[in-house]
Amino acid sequence: MTNDVAVSMTAVAKSFGETKALKKCEFVARAGEVHAIVGENGSGKSTMAKIMSGVIAADTGSVLILGKSITSPVDAKEVGLATIFQEVLVADEASVLDNLFVGSEDLFSLRKLSRERESVAQSLLDRLVGKPVDLRQNVGDLPLSIKQWIVIARAVLRKPKVLILDESSAALDLDATVRLYEEIDRLRSEGCAVIIVTHRIAELVRIADRATILRDGFTVGVLEKFEITEANLLRMMTPQDRQISAAASTSAAGLPGDRKEALSVHGARPQEASQPFDFVLPQGSIVGVAGLDGQGQDAFVRLVARIISPFGGEVRILNRERTGLVKVSTLDDAANKGIVYVSGDRKREGIFPQQSIFENLAIGIYQKNLGPFGVIRRKKLKQTFAREVERLRVKIGHPDNRITSLSGGNQQKVLIGRAFANDPKVIVLNDPARGVDLNTKRDLYRELRLFVEGGGSVIYLSSEIEEFLGFADRVDVFHKGSIHRSLDGPDINEETILAAMFGRSVADTMEFSKERKAH
Amino acid sequence: MSQRFGFPTLDRSLTVPLVLFAVLLVAAALLSPRLFTATGMGGAIIVAAPLILTTLALTPIVMAGRGSVDLSVGPLMGFVNVTLIGWLSASGYTSPLAVICWVVTVGALYQLLQALIIIYVRVAPIIVTLSSFLVLSGLNLMVMSRPGGVAPEWMMTWGAGTTIVSPVLIIVLAALALWAVMRRTTFYSHLRMTGADERMAYTSGVKVDTVRICAHLLGGVFVGLAALSYTALISSGDPTQGSSYTLQAVTALVLGGANLAGGRGGALGSTLGALNMFLISYLLSAFSFGSVTGFVTQMAFGLILVASLLVNVFMTARRTAF
Repeated sequence: MTNDVAVSMTAVAKSFGETKALKKCEFVARAGEVHAIVGENGSGKSTMAKIMSGVIAADTGSVLILGKSITSPVDAKEVGLATIFQEVLVADEASVLDNLFVGSEDLFSLRKLSRERESVAQSLLDRLVGKPVDLRQNVGDLPLSIKQWIVIARAVLRKPKVLILDESSAALDLDATVRLYEEIDRLRSEGCAVIIVTHRIAELVRIADRATILRDGFTVGVLEKFEITEANLLRMMTPQDRQISAAASTSAAGLPGDRKEALSVHGARPQEASQPFDFVLPQGSIVGVAGLDGQGQDAFVRLVARIISPFGGEVRILNRERTGLVKVSTLDDAANKGIVYVSGDRKREGIFPQQSIFENLAIGIYQKNLGPFGVIRRKKLKQTFAREVERLRVKIGHPDNRITSLSGGNQQKVLIGRAFANDPKVIVLNDPARGVDLNTKRDLYRELRLFVEGGGSVIYLSSEIEEFLGFADRVDVFHKGSIHRSLDGPDINEETILAAMFGRSVADTMEFSKERKAH
Repeated sequence: MSQRFGFPTLDRSLTVPLVLFAVLLVAAALLSPRLFTATGMGGAIIVAAPLILTTLALTPIVMAGRGSVDLSVGPLMGFVNVTLIGWLSASGYTSPLAVICWVVTVGALYQLLQALIIIYVRVAPIIVTLSSFLVLSGLNLMVMSRPGGVAPEWMMTWGAGTTIVSPVLIIVLAALALWAVMRRTTFYSHLRMTGADERMAYTSGVKVDTVRICAHLLGGVFVGLAALSYTALISSGDPTQGSSYTLQAVTALVLGGANLAGGRGGALGSTLGALNMFLISYLLSAFSFGSVTGFVTQMAFGLILVASLLVNVFMTARRTAF
């Protein structure tokens, strides 16, 4: 590790309207180190990354990248800084190749994508993805995880001196994350300063050389490698008044056999290749859904919520009188019968970016709050809004501010508030904790646990195994388009779930664990 | 890239315009084979050229995204036409060089002005170009209150359209060649990226403002060439007819498979779209609808546009089905 300063920020502040995203932020990253920026939702992490990248300008304070101050992404490109943003920014209409090299050439040069550059791109992307990718393919036809790799490869191809990753591993599965770390290691050894903005504390412990902790717009400290532990990070991230014991997480009650079915799916076929299977959601339980990327679990939860009608599967739900199951046909029908869907892909399936925080939360309950002549009863809605905001501890400015003025985690809370406001019976969550920090997760787990204790039921898809531990009553692991194993009780642990994700059988699990350790 | 000069690989959005083009050609061959004679073809090129070129003018501007469909292309073409006849020719500057410089410069400068307003005043493009449409429509009538004037002497024979190879065809080919060259520059990929996802392009270090300005400049050059071919067609100045080209060009653009939201489009598609429009009206004129021909033609444009969009929607839906 050298001591050359790659990035330095001094007394940086930034406000968006009423909301003060950064109050006083100090940051130094050196060449040849992996430096993490950690903080809970709304602490200003993403804002910091955007300021460093030149996407937004700081209100006050100085920002130097390799000794130069930059005011636009074009400047950033010139000094050798590349950023991988939280959103998966790709042009769906264009080819993989065009997406990889966007912005890498000057405007008026004849296009000179030499065979050489193409083959460099090809080998890099193949290595990252782990299998060959056709560079001439339209990006729109590719799955999210490969899009994420394209964004990462785009940055790496620039041979950056400073690389910023803003929650970039969110769309990647476990196996892929390992490949990402290898790439980060390589860049570090070449003298690149790698700055990681993340909420995955487990990752940090493994990969970061140093960590800067943000709280409420202030930098509260810098940890050296040996000091980076989960306890230290949590203590520094959390405001004093909220430092409850780490064990505040809810405990899963397990599943008594005599519970009523809240929802059942018969003959589900989320993917064309799926073997049809049945699925039962017992009332008052939280069922986790896991799987490696593209094994059908994503299509399955959409199928349950009737977002898509795939190759087969009849969804039935307990009727309002709780006497028997009734068939759910369309999305509309699903909503009427009490199924709500909350997505972690906020940009595409969640928020209305042009609308206010209030509108975003209340949009689903206008129908139920109509007064005479179909006029919406604002007063009643305001009460609901205030209740949900309070309950979920959403950090907001004025309710009429745009939803995009909130941080990712707070946006997610608003979406969950929208779901709760609808008085659902079954909540289907599709990786809701993507890009969300630990405290938000805890708020979420607590609310969901209260919800099932009140008689509701939850289907929870997650790409992070840790989420299920101590939270889910049962975990259904998908492999090749259908449920490979259904785990409950003591089987809900990292090793078993991981083994099942790789399609291992019960007997294989021990062996699999040994292999992994040896690796 | 695998694309060879002038022969871009066919993308899927061209399927519908190509099929429609083939169908219309066959219909024309059956119903009105006069089109396939030298004079028929020559005349067709003269009549279709202004629409082809206005559609080409729209193409880069629409591709740059932000929903910037340039409504002003029609009246702008009219403006170049009336100023060419009413100011330039009337003042005695009639050399081919002066005329070509005039049309290209006026078109490009006007588009530059529009681009600067869109970018730096931050008004929605559609508002800017709608205002342009209204302002220019009025301005054209101030320059020339009724159709009149005469085109420069050397241009008078251009509108005859008795041979296939005519100066107007050369203008169209020149425009397509300009596009083909542009396609090989980085500007083209930056243009597509900006249109497909402006934020992505911006954060990747694309100078999106410069790209947008260049798209308008290029559009302006094409508008100028459109005005030149239009002047050749009518051999005079006309302050009102130009405006009708705006909606036709937008229709042709969509018929050609471009995405009005940006990112997708091209010269080949736009040319095909414009040719299809021409063939539809040509075929309809083969029937005798008497005084209602104009209405029938417009109705046919509308119906075929909707039909081709529906086909596109079905094709896309089948592709993205789970």
